[in-house]
Amino acid sequence: MTTASVRLPLARPRRAVLGGVASGLAVHLRWPVRVVRIAFACLVFAGGAGILLYLWFWAFIPLERDVDAAAPVSRRLPVAAVSLALAAVFTLAELGAIVARSDAAVNFTLLAVIVFGGGTVAWSLAMDAADPARSARYGTLTRSASTFILLLAGIAALISRPNAFNAVLGMLSIVVAVGVLAAPRLVTLWTDLMAERSARVREEQRAEIAAHLHDSVLQTLALIQTRAGASSEVARIARAQERELRDWLFADDVPASADLATELREIAAAIELDYAVHLDVVTAGAAVPVSPTALVGAAREAMLNAARHAGGEVSVYVESTSGTIDVFVRDRGPGVDLATLPDDRLGIRESIIGRMTRAGGTATVGPAAGGSASGGPGGSGAGTEVHLHLETTHAGERI
Amino acid sequence: MTSVLIVDDHSIFRSGLRAELDPSLEVIGEAATVDEAVSLIASLRPNVVLLDVHLPGGAGGGGAEVLHRSSALLDVVRFLALSVSDSAEDVVGVIRAGARGYITKGSSGAEVSSAVAAVASGDAVFSPRLAGFVLDAFGAVAGERAERSDELDRLSAREQEVMRLIARGFSYKEVATELFISIKTVETHVSAVLRKLQLSSRHELTVWAQQRKLL
Repeated sequence: MTTASVRLPLARPRRAVLGGVASGLAVHLRWPVRVVRIAFACLVFAGGAGILLYLWFWAFIPLERDVDAAAPVSRRLPVAAVSLALAAVFTLAELGAIVARSDAAVNFTLLAVIVFGGGTVAWSLAMDAADPARSARYGTLTRSASTFILLLAGIAALISRPNAFNAVLGMLSIVVAVGVLAAPRLVTLWTDLMAERSARVREEQRAEIAAHLHDSVLQTLALIQTRAGASSEVARIARAQERELRDWLFADDVPASADLATELREIAAAIELDYAVHLDVVTAGAAVPVSPTALVGAAREAMLNAARHAGGEVSVYVESTSGTIDVFVRDRGPGVDLATLPDDRLGIRESIIGRMTRAGGTATVGPAAGGSASGGPGGSGAGTEVHLHLETTHAGERI
Repeated sequence: MTSVLIVDDHSIFRSGLRAELDPSLEVIGEAATVDEAVSLIASLRPNVVLLDVHLPGGAGGGGAEVLHRSSALLDVVRFLALSVSDSAEDVVGVIRAGARGYITKGSSGAEVSSAVAAVASGDAVFSPRLAGFVLDAFGAVAGERAERSDELDRLSAREQEVMRLIARGFSYKEVATELFISIKTVETHVSAVLRKLQLSSRHELTVWAQQRKLL
């Protein structure tokens, strides 16, 4: 294996001093960062080549990609503040040059003030606004300070007996200062507009795809389930696919927080993957934001039992008021008789009844009411119903 | 013989349903769009229309639009809504527009057939999910109860019991056995709930209807 093949890709890190060029290069070349920096510094003296090279790399090396793409870029060097300080220094120099009546020096310093003052604002709006390390207050301060400096330099140049070039530069300085005041508003408007437009386009595309899938694929999946019979392998796969697709399509409509109903639906989905069963979870009443673990555990066990021993259609009904939660799990299997169950069948006795009792609730397991009481194999198939009841106010301290 | 019209925009689904329906039901026609459905309902006068909730054509109102435009025939023709989505919210609009019940497209042929028979004989068809939604929307879980029988915005104690059992997955027959009443009485209660669902001006119901532009 050659060394080139294990070389890390050339990319700029998101947490950088200035542009991340030096550290990116250092990682790629496997040189110490210090060496790279010294090399750049030396090249600066070769007619400014270091600066050009740095800017060139900055423009062409991409940001590193493996991290979260939306992560903001953070820079340690306070570029805006440094640029502002330079603008201030050149303003002083300009005032000095005016007093010394040196037109050439005034021209040069005024130009520098415009470059650095404008640069401060441009950097502040383009770079610092997205940088979490820079506060909004810092941005406002640097921008108003550079406005002040630009105005000062411009007016000073105009009221001192100016030549034509000085006057143009002075006016330019004032125009830039006024532009600075309006720029943040314009930039915000523009970015908001672009963000809103792209969000709308995405939303439209999504709605179109959703409508299309809803009309075609979901219908087909429903049909497959009907034709294959509720408990067949094909129907199960189709149902799982339908659920996944539905979750994806309507992801925005579902509240993100996991309440009891969502949790039970997820359990049902997981069980349906493993057993030939169709669990229909119906909920009514207030949402339960914090699910009591004992109740969820017992409900899962009841649903699993129904899936294992009965299969087919299983109804799960959750009713929650402010003080109580009731869960009914009803299957249409051969039925179960608690008295004849061997002691080693831990499922019902321990995982359902024991668990609920310890949590301060109750669990009743019996032949589903409404059917005939003879629940033996070959009976009417009335099935079993598990009823879990929990007073939430009472069980609160045990959860 | 009960005559049935199948309204669904998917030909595969229509033919699949047609093949699965009980032989006692006679499919006299199929429609794929809102306009087609409205004209066929008016000319054929079927006993029951199996109506897809999401339907192209017309003014874009789907199944509810078919119901609105056929409202003059609601006494003669009964509508059973079919939905690929099993969210009751999707279906409440169609129910309020006049459908006598709803089932999901995942239901088996036998289930659809018995639902059609129930609707044809004037009964309402409630799925467990719709029953759960009704309990929620009428504040039954929070303990609200109708004091008088003519009250539209709340359920009576008996209606609540029936809805609760349906939500738990009981068939009408099982509900009747459980409550020691006749199946006919269960059907009466369910029809009463359906009427309330259609006529009530409860906030929870009108919100759904407004969201679906059905009012």
